[in-house]
Order: sequence, then C-alpha cells, then structure tokens
Amino acid sequence: MATLEVKDLHVSVKDEESKKEKEILKGINLSMKTGEIHAIMGPNGTGKSTLSQTIMGQPNYHVTQGDILLNGESIIDMPVDERARKGLFLAMQYPAEIQGVTNAEFLRAAINARRADDDQISVMDFIKKLDKNLKLLDMNESMTERYLNEGFSGGEKKRNEILQLLMIEPSFAILDEIDSGLDIDALKVVSKGVNSMRGDNFGSLIITHYQRLLNYIVPDTVHVMMDGRIVKTGGPDLAKKLEDEGYAGLRDELGLDIKLVDDED
Amino acid sequence: MTELKVEQQLVTASEENNEPQSLLDRRLEAYKLMDKLQLPKMQRFKFHDWPLIKNQPLKWVASDPQAVLEDEADHEVIKVVQFGQSTIQIALPKELQDAGVILTDIFTAAREHENLFNKFFMTAIKPEENLLTAYHLAYLNAGLFLYIPRNVQIEKPIEAELIQDNTQDEPLISHILVIADRGSKVKFIQHLTTVGENEEPANMMIELIAQDNSEIDFSSLDELGSHTHTYFKRRADIGRDAHVEWAVGLMNDGNTVGDMDSELLGEGGYANSKMIAVTTRQQEVGINNRVTNRGKHTTGLINQRGVILEGSELIFNGIGQIIHGAHGSKADQQNRVLIMSDQARGDANPILLIDENDVEAGHAASVGPVDPHQMYYLMSRGIPRKQAERMVIRGFLGAVLSAIPSKDVRNKLVTILERKLTDGQQYQ
Ligand SMILES: Nc1ncnc2c1ncn2[C@@H]1O[C@H](COP(=O)(O)OP(=O)(O)O)[C@@H](O)[C@H]1O
Ligand SMILES: [Mg+2]
Repeated sequence: MATLEVKDLHVSVKDEESKKEKEILKGINLSMKTGEIHAIMGPNGTGKSTLSQTIMGQPNYHVTQGDILLNGESIIDMPVDERARKGLFLAMQYPAEIQGVTNAEFLRAAINARRADDDQISVMDFIKKLDKNLKLLDMNESMTERYLNEGFSGGEKKRNEILQLLMIEPSFAILDEIDSGLDIDALKVVSKGVNSMRGDNFGSLIITHYQRLLNYIVPDTVHVMMDGRIVKTGGPDLAKKLEDEGYAGLRDELGLDIKLVDDED
Repeated sequence: MTELKVEQQLVTASEENNEPQSLLDRRLEAYKLMDKLQLPKMQRFKFHDWPLIKNQPLKWVASDPQAVLEDEADHEVIKVVQFGQSTIQIALPKELQDAGVILTDIFTAAREHENLFNKFFMTAIKPEENLLTAYHLAYLNAGLFLYIPRNVQIEKPIEAELIQDNTQDEPLISHILVIADRGSKVKFIQHLTTVGENEEPANMMIELIAQDNSEIDFSSLDELGSHTHTYFKRRADIGRDAHVEWAVGLMNDGNTVGDMDSELLGEGGYANSKMIAVTTRQQEVGINNRVTNRGKHTTGLINQRGVILEGSELIFNGIGQIIHGAHGSKADQQNRVLIMSDQARGDANPILLIDENDVEAGHAASVGPVDPHQMYYLMSRGIPRKQAERMVIRGFLGAVLSAIPSKDVRNKLVTILERKLTDGQQYQ
C-alpha cells in the first residue's frame, strides 16, 4: 500500500503582470491511500490545477509552507522526473506537443525510465501491452507512430493521457479536468480506462468542475475546494448535492465570504 | 613566390591532369582575380583570421582506398565515393547511362563533356564573387559532375561519400555540379567526413542548375573533422516551375563558415532551404542562408535550427530577398537556436529585403533554452532531464531529419546527433 499526504500546503506563484508572488493555496490537507479514489471539485480559479501541478513538481509553483509526503517521504525538494519514478502521474489539462518524438518511442522511454538498465521492457512485451490498452481506449494503432500529441484533437490528447496512465501504471494518478471538452462517448471510454486501473495498487485524485464524470468513475471521497482551501469533504452524494445547489449554494450554506469567478447556475 | 612562377605551376598541374585549355584558362584568370578580391562578408560573425587558403601549389596526390572503411553495400542508393582527390567508386546503372545520365568526377566531365561543363561550371557561383570563390576555381582538386537529361527521373537517390584525406598535406577543394535538365528529377545526398589529423582547409562548393520544371532534392550530412576549417558555398539556380529542396545537417567538428543561396529565377519556382546545426566545444560556425525571389509567383522558404553546446558559437543569418517585379511571390523564414550552456553564444537573424508590394513575407526567430513546458511534460513521465532534453532537441530538429531520403544517412545523422548532444551535456 502506498500513501500520499498533503499537509498544510501553502503555494504561491509569481503573477505575470505585477511580478509579485501571489498565494494560491492557503493550507490544504489531504490524505489518501492506494485503493482509494478521491475527487476534488471546485469553481474555476480556485487552485485545483495549482494543487495538482505542485504535487507533480512543476517548478513555477512555490511551496511556502507545509509538506507533501509520498509513502512518508517528503517530495517537495525532488525534481519532477524523480517524483514520477516514485509513482506519481499527472494527466495534464494542457499536454505539450513534441514533434519528432513518436508516441510509441515516448511511452517506451517512460516505462524504461523506471526500470533497471538490465531489465528494460522487451519489444514484444511492449507491443502486447500497447495493443491491449489501445483496444481498451478505442484508439487507432496509427496514433502510436504519430508525433507526441502533435496535431491531436482535444479528445485525442485526453485519451492519450489515459493511454500513458495505463502503460506507466503509477501508484497515484492525478487527473486534471480529464473530462473537459469530451463528448459522452469519449467520457465513457476515458472512464473505462481509469476504472480498469482500480485496485489495491492504484489510487487516484480526480479533479473536475462538473459532477458528470463522477457518474462514471465513482469516488470514495469528494472534497470541495474554494479559494485555495478544502471547505468540505464527504461521500459521492456531496457531488450530487453540488450539482443541484451549485458552488454558490454550498458557499452560502457554509457561511464563507468568497467571490466565485464564474457565475454558477 | 613570384606570380609568374605560381602561374607556371598551375599550367604544369593542369597539364598533368590532362585538362582542356578552357579549364586552364579559367584557372589562370581566377588566380589573377585573387589579388583583387576579399574574403566574403557575414553579419555578426568573424572568421577572417582562419586558415581558409593554403599557400601551396596545386598538386595531384592519390589517396589509398584501403584507408577508408567500406560500408556494407547500400542497395537503396546509387553510391559514389571520393577519398581526397581519388574517385574510389562510381558506377551508374546501365539503364541510366542509356537514358543519357552522366555521373563522373569533375575533371572527367571537363575533358569528356567539355561543352556542357563549360556552359554551366561556375556560372551559378562566380569566381569573382570573393577571394574564396576565385581560390576555388584556381586550385580546384576534386569533385563530381551529374547531368540528368530532359524529362529523365532518377528514382534511387544518388549518394556521394566525400572523404577529406587529412593524412595528406593537401587542402580539399571540391566542386559538385548538378545539372537537371527540363522536367528531370533527382535526389542527391552528400556525406562529408574527414580521415587524418592534419590541419587542412576544406573549400566545398555545390552548384545546382534546376532548369524549368525540374526537381532537385539535395541533402547533406556534413561531418568534417575538428582539424578542418571549412568554407562552403552551395547555390541553386532555379528555373521556371522548378523545385529545389535543401536539407543540410551541419555536424562538422571544426570551424565552419557557409553560404547557402537559392536563386528563384523563373516564374513559379520553389525553394525550401532547411538546415540544422549542432555546435560543440569551442567551435565557431556562421551561416548565411539566402533565398532570392526574382521570378513572379515564386516561393522561397528558409528553416534553420541550431543547438549550441559547451563554449561554441553559432550564427544563423536568414536572408530573404524579393526583387522588384516578383509579383505574387512568397518568402517565409524561421531561424531558431537553442542555447544549452552559459558559455554558448549564438544568434538567429532574419533579414528581409523586400522591393515589391504584391508579396507575402513572414519570419520568426528565437534564441533561448529548450522549451520548459515540453521538458516538464516529458519529465513528468519519469524521463530523466538529459534524456528529455535530447528528445525535445530531436523534435526541434525534426524537419530536416525527416527530409533526408536515405534511411542509412538519416540513421547516421541521428547517431552523431545523439553523440554530440550526450558529449555536450556532460559539460553543462
Ligand atoms: N503559472 C501561473 N502563473 C500565474 N498565475 C497562475 C498560474 N497558475 C495558476 N495561477 C493563478 O492561480 C489561480 C488558480 O488557478 P488554477 O490552479 O489554475 O485554478 P483551477 O484549476 O481551480 O481553475 C488563478 O487565479 C490563476 O490565475
Ligand atoms: Mg484547472
């Protein structure tokens, strides 16, 4: 069993315009184990992506207070590649496009990066695993010879993130708005991929703005985040409640003085 | 040495080589020009103290074919090998000979195809352009000649392996002349390497004569040694509706200054001049990549990508010129360099000279580190920084890699790229 703990996490980022550090996360606490699926919901601009990028180790986000522990070990001073090899994965909201590097080559490099030099995955095993996962995600084989994300549609990019997840098999996967821009069929396929990973050796933190995704990937725990803090934690029913009452409703119910960026219906 | 004596030496050498009088006359004229001419100019790049001219008589020396390793035969290409001044392998398939294709060393062409040779040799690049072009003609000592008759299309790429012999005390002064007659089509690959440790200049010129409706794909993998100072000049004269594609992988280990030139002369011509360069150690490399739109409705593209490692320097000047009267023409250029260490220096300068209103012109340039977003993405999948860096760089250079028609040459380029990048990264 692996664990991921976020303790009193404060994160700031440099504002492009004012050049000043701005605090985005204001004391986040979160604790999860493999075998569990947690969801984080929250209005736009609340800091959900900031939390996921900080856990992964994106260098623009500065931890000013608190800690992140993976299996009890602090990771906040580790570079991103080391965190990945220790079992973290982030399906990104905006994946990079890389010309000249094929999807297949990239996947092999990622798999081999976490294996010893004398234990690299064989071509046969790699192809078998790839074929199985392509099928699961309803993806065309030709996707693997295309350059990494280059010219992929929004939906193709999301599927490709999940393909990587299935190939790399991390202990913890953070999925940042994996549902945005997906039609219902694609949403089902992506959910099927994530659900196939469910088990004792896999935990996931699913970040979403809408409840819809959680009909397909049913979480064990739901956290609601507003203004850089987790303001409420509950079971799957909390997501349904939010769907009915909106973020503004919950805010008022909790008596919070927070301005929401976007109008909620 | 007196001028008279030098001229006498040129006469003797030319006679020894059984050259026709016409070539000797041109050598002598070129030699006279050398007095009046200056080294070529390049913006933001200093090379005038380099030993690009060797003060010694023209001499004929044979290089020992045993000294160069024979690759396994590659049946995907028509291969020509020249080692120093010696032609080691040259065999044109019979059906191409029958079709009238001529592939010989440059001096055989001067002797046996004198009219054709004289009509085109050093007409695109002119001896009077600068000191090094005049030197080139006066002291020419190696090279190849290719003529493709009207409407003949050669499917297999022709690969010229040119090996500079630095075990000898001779400069390499080499000329490739390709004449694509109307409607013909050819893919040509050159691979330049060096054997031996002597300090020698290389003066390498290429002329492509792309006549109306012809198509020339010219790729080059330049891998000259660290003891070689190189000046190269490559020029295409492009006729009506003719196409020329350049794909150059500049991987020399030594100091290099180079001129790429595409002249869009006829209406509807097209040139795409692509170059990638990787510089290492204390190397200095400066490139002018010029495309000139003269004909109406011509298209001229430049794409240069460089990676500057360790304490090296790389200057890319992209020069796009549209001459008055070239209505409906298009010029676009990209010049980008990655700076990989604190000591690396480089620049990417787009220079647009436009004398016509009815045109489309664009440019982009960048100088900086590898894209941090791409790095983050690869590393977030566990790929270590240096490997991720090499992958991003390979992508950055991808346009030229994929344009090389021979798999073998492409693989060679990838291999030396990996080696240079890995070496260079140790320095960071
Ligand atoms: N790299 C960054 N640079 C500057 N500001 C940022 C950066 N990332 C996020 N922010 C700011 O932090 C706040 C939270 O953003 P984000 O974490 O993306 O929210 P969410 O994912 O919940 O929509 C926003 O005000 C956003 O503008
Ligand atoms: Mg977000």
